[in-house]
Amino acid sequence: MCFARLNTSNKAQEVATHTQHTHTHAQMACTVEEMDSEQKVVGESVPLKTSLLERGAKALQSLTPIHNFQQHVCTWAKYSHDMKRAIETHHYVTRLNEDFLQCAVFDSDGTNARLLGVEYIISYKIFSALPEEERKLWHSHLYEIKHGLWINPGVPEALQRSELEKLAGTYGKFWCTWQSDRGDKIPLGLPVLMMSPQESSPGLISEEAIRARDKRYDVSSTYLAQTRADIDVGLGAVHPSADHWKKNGKGFVIELKEVDMVKGSM
Amino acid sequence: MAASGPGPVFQSQDIPGEPKKTSTVVLEKTAGLLQSFKPIASIHAHLCAFHFYAYDLGRQVEAHHFCTHMSEDVHQCLIFDTPKKDARLIGIEYIVTEKVFLSLPEDEKRLWHSHEYEVKSGVLFMPGLPSVAEKAQMKHLAKTYGKVFHFWQIDKGDTIPLGLPQLMMALTADGQLNPQLGKDVEERFHISFAENRKQRADLEGPDKGIHPSANPWLQGKGLVPEVLEVECVRNAADSSQTSSEL
Repeated sequence: MCFARLNTSNKAQEVATHTQHTHTHAQMACTVEEMDSEQKVVGESVPLKTSLLERGAKALQSLTPIHNFQQHVCTWAKYSHDMKRAIETHHYVTRLNEDFLQCAVFDSDGTNARLLGVEYIISYKIFSALPEEERKLWHSHLYEIKHGLWINPGVPEALQRSELEKLAGTYGKFWCTWQSDRGDKIPLGLPVLMMSPQESSPGLISEEAIRARDKRYDVSSTYLAQTRADIDVGLGAVHPSADHWKKNGKGFVIELKEVDMVKGSM
Repeated sequence: MAASGPGPVFQSQDIPGEPKKTSTVVLEKTAGLLQSFKPIASIHAHLCAFHFYAYDLGRQVEAHHFCTHMSEDVHQCLIFDTPKKDARLIGIEYIVTEKVFLSLPEDEKRLWHSHEYEVKSGVLFMPGLPSVAEKAQMKHLAKTYGKVFHFWQIDKGDTIPLGLPQLMMALTADGQLNPQLGKDVEERFHISFAENRKQRADLEGPDKGIHPSANPWLQGKGLVPEVLEVECVRNAADSSQTSSEL
């Protein structure tokens, strides 16, 4: 009961916050969340009284950095240490300059989406200047953009085209902090490094997953791939230092080493 | 100003690259109007606090949290270096109630920190909110535990996010906070930690006390991240062990 009310009032709040939104056909399509009623986070729903208090407090604060998310991107990512596992991702993107973007990544586009991690996106110019050890942690975006996996739900392709041309030549570093695909109802463990969809196994995304996503947003990845076939990132091939697994079939895991705590020069 | 000095020293032009073109800005705004941003709209609170690296108390970072209350027991937060428009997204924090924390495996508990001191001392605050408006949230927070990772070591002067995710910790007692950093924050946000402390004198920490497995650095154990190469494709037998690795 509380859950249903929370959704409704959140929706009203979202409309109030983004009053200029035009509701396109894609937006009217069912969100991932609405389709799936399984409990995804440990704990009872936030009681209405708490939610109202929070809403009141929110009105007194200016959440400026949050208003700087300008794009919603839907695509996929794969676990670098277990590339049979893919997740559909919802990136909320802020472009800080022509060469750098930062993304909050969620597992759905709904009100109760789980925060899965952070991805940073950089241009070829910045990527090629990085030390080799750093480059190993980054992945390319050319394949997923050219093949229509990467979409901006609700935005006509023509309007998105120039941004896609820029992003097609970029590189991303994505740390995932909540492995919700394995059923974790709270975020456990250390961050894991993610990789991007690529043209060969184990970088492929299943046809079934693509079809389901396309149906939900009323798009066709196949059609988008055709219209994007002429995207040219100028430098030809993807930088050989990205997508490390292609070289030697290896991914990465993070571990923690115990050291003596530095108590500081206080 | 040295990267280790108090207060944000960052200018947006510090990030390498060309400034945004007018055409980029216009297209962004136009396209953005056509999209839905529900997970972002769910973010309801701004909290300011301090984190330090899980291996070095001296490296302290002002952390602006933008939080969503997911369930009675869980919050998720995006962490920025400032509350301004061009703020850098530097990390993530998850916050859970005592009940959830106590249910975690021991190996997991050591990644988490307690919030009692930050709340009761007044150094954690919600910019723009009078004490009375933030009281209910402070009362809840004082009993919770958090897990924070930073991906961008701005205090080192990194102009882009380099390297590995850093486990961070939070303050647990008087005398830990860099006085200059604290004073700088008080001045910039026109607040007084001492005043906050007075207002929150009646708040209590976790019912069962702070668990000894949280805040591992208090036992002198610093935790530094390392990266290992592993096979990127696991066979069926390996996949089932994924969660125990972590």
